[in-house]
Amino acid sequence: MSGKLLGYCGRVLYIDLSKEKTWIRELSEEEELMFIGGTGLAAKIVCEEVDPSVDPFSSENTLVFMTGPLTGTYVPCTGRLAVAAKSPLTLGWGEAHSSGFWGIELKKAGFDGIVIKGSSKDPVYIYVKDSEIEIRDASKIWGRDTRETDKLVKQDVGDSKIKVACIGPAGEKLVRYACITVEPEPEGPRVAGRTGMGAVMGSKNLKAIAVKGSGSISMADPNRLRHLIRRLLPLIMSFPSTQIQAAYGTAGEVEVFYEYGDMPMRNFSLGAWEGIEKLTGENLAKTIVARHKACYNCPIGCWRVVEIDGLRVRGPEYEAVASLGSTLLIDDPYVIARANELCNRYGIDVISAGVTIAWAIECYEKGIITKEDTGGLELKWGDGDLLLKLIEMIGEREGFGKLLGEGSRLASKMLGRGSEKYAMHVKGLEVPMHDPRAFKGMGLQYATSNRGACHLQGFVLRIEQGERMHDLKIYERVDRFETKGKGRIVAIMQDWHEVLDSMIICKFLAIPPAHVAAMYSMVTGRKTLLPELLKAGSRIFNLKRIFNIACGYSSADDTLPERFLREPLKEGGAAGQVVELEPMLKEYYDYRKWDEKGVPRKELLEELGIAELAERLIR
Amino acid sequence: MESLFSEEELKQEICRVMSALYKRGLVSALGGNVSARIPNSEEFWITPSGVFKGELNPDDLVKLDLECNVVDGLLRPSIEAPVHAAIYKARPDVNAIVHAHNPFTLGLALAGLPIEPITVEEVMVLRKVEVVPFAFPGTDKLAKLVAETAAKGYRALILQNHGIIAMGSNLVEAEAVAETLEEVAIAQFVCYALGKKPPLIPEREVELYRKLYRF
Repeated sequence: MSGKLLGYCGRVLYIDLSKEKTWIRELSEEEELMFIGGTGLAAKIVCEEVDPSVDPFSSENTLVFMTGPLTGTYVPCTGRLAVAAKSPLTLGWGEAHSSGFWGIELKKAGFDGIVIKGSSKDPVYIYVKDSEIEIRDASKIWGRDTRETDKLVKQDVGDSKIKVACIGPAGEKLVRYACITVEPEPEGPRVAGRTGMGAVMGSKNLKAIAVKGSGSISMADPNRLRHLIRRLLPLIMSFPSTQIQAAYGTAGEVEVFYEYGDMPMRNFSLGAWEGIEKLTGENLAKTIVARHKACYNCPIGCWRVVEIDGLRVRGPEYEAVASLGSTLLIDDPYVIARANELCNRYGIDVISAGVTIAWAIECYEKGIITKEDTGGLELKWGDGDLLLKLIEMIGEREGFGKLLGEGSRLASKMLGRGSEKYAMHVKGLEVPMHDPRAFKGMGLQYATSNRGACHLQGFVLRIEQGERMHDLKIYERVDRFETKGKGRIVAIMQDWHEVLDSMIICKFLAIPPAHVAAMYSMVTGRKTLLPELLKAGSRIFNLKRIFNIACGYSSADDTLPERFLREPLKEGGAAGQVVELEPMLKEYYDYRKWDEKGVPRKELLEELGIAELAERLIR
Repeated sequence: MESLFSEEELKQEICRVMSALYKRGLVSALGGNVSARIPNSEEFWITPSGVFKGELNPDDLVKLDLECNVVDGLLRPSIEAPVHAAIYKARPDVNAIVHAHNPFTLGLALAGLPIEPITVEEVMVLRKVEVVPFAFPGTDKLAKLVAETAAKGYRALILQNHGIIAMGSNLVEAEAVAETLEEVAIAQFVCYALGKKPPLIPEREVELYRKLYRF
């Protein structure tokens, strides 16, 4: 059966860098419907083609870039891209997402995705121009930062309008949380940040992928779709979080999250801090923001461009304001913007960088790390110069930066001395900027997310803030500190976010789920109702779970850093709280139809149509 | 028996009613919903949720069964679908339901003032209007409260701090109930605003109508 659904190209481009060969795989309609696209199809490809026991840096790892059926359509906020592979940071399932025009360009070139296999002996970059595929020499670009890389690739191709996804020096040097930067120039980049996908790209000696397409993106009923969206926008734009993001970017929520006791400070050990006033969206707007920008077809426009050192660059998001700011007790917006830009140039995930540095500073403060370890550097909170220095050292993998480049889990394991206690990660992925003691469902979400501590795959805190999701049968208003009922809610929200990451739609756009099903139907030309999509979401989530089990993960890893389980904060909006994880986990496993060891039951896998694939992975 | 309206005509009629309610200011750009039971069936067509209400077309509507399962249509059904389904289950005589946000009706209810028999239309079209206590929109609790009250035979209900429900054996009747309710509320409001208590139609006349129309 060949892919006949509109919205898809029905083709994935395969490139084997070891053999310098390319070929095309046709997608079947069945796999499109079962796995939708984006993260779902990427999961299917990785699970079918990657041996879970491989070293993530070996040529046997496979790196998948995937768009979704809604990418580049009239549906707002669909200029998105999913990247997946076995992660060098979690040593299990890895994935990251970025916005930008790269994915749209790829679809215009006639491909839903690109799968990179093998690894090149010498640095290369890939140029896709419609059906022409070239593997080109990148030796002169190797070592350059992401901005320079973007410019040099465009020069080399002779086309300033191509879209470039690339790595910086951190990816080349295998920093385990190196990211893939998408379209760094101008005023960019967007970033596929988490789980070290840039390091996988670096391990393949692949510096960049440049894309240019001249085709168009198919839609079954574009007029009806456009008419629906026009009339839906007032509802979508009326959500409070959307309005804040439109006004101040994601950093507009600094005050809100701080009030909840959600925003981390001093490596998640402090609940109140006066420096926060300088980091609010309002203050960033007054100090560093130069202008607003929006991604493809986005009515919100949360992107902030800031001006530093005479250059206009992408401003820090909420996550960067917290990870490079409050977590380290740095309250200078200029320093945070510089650190953010430095991470973007090196190609480093800001969350993992900030949390790993916070681990080091806390260990230094407690005498676990000394100047002998740091090469004479004094580590202290609130030191902006230190932050900039450490980011450089991580990006170059020099001195103490070598250890920090391993990520908090591996670095603390290598260092020992009890430092593991202060490493804030789940399954190796550093905890993002929402303290689960403020939203306990987020604790369960972190503990069970397939890529480790992830705030985006579920974003349960919106429900814990009081939102209800009628379409998902979440009618009740839940208390953020309550644990009862959270197992069900977290599982439902995770499955729904698998759908969004497969379509792919930005999560900041709160389109009600049943309307997403309607839009998918109008794009593909096949009527698809919400229950079918939710089943696909559950299928994708469970498949990734199986991949992690095959990588050696078990229920023992569905946990949180000890600090969240045993150490309440003394002050702030979540003072006195810890996460009571066990009862939530029990409820969650039961709802998901997993056994007591957290393994999806055979009947469930059969119902989801992935029993055979799961058996092959675990065997 | 052949139906007076085909299903397609029924859907067009729902859109016409919604548009009329919007133009009269009884529903806002995003509020309110209308449904109609498909004659001799356990299914109904309802307006979608979250879509601008002044410009609906038949393709936007969603067909549900009485358990609120989607039978046809692509969009997200109104979040008040459980209220509509519960009424259809409780009231076999009701074939069309309007949920609007009549501002004057709501205002009188907020002030604790009842809708009174001040016009013949009030007596004949509305008959008796009951207030349903507040429950969050879209919840099963609201559906249960409304259905219990509707089961007593009312044609018009006021949902406290929320809006109104108008029921009829067809769409025009439900539309007329919603509009009459607001007309009566406006007339009462004007009278109160001028500092007067509205004179009522004498009880014995009301009684005559009750006997005549058997309500």
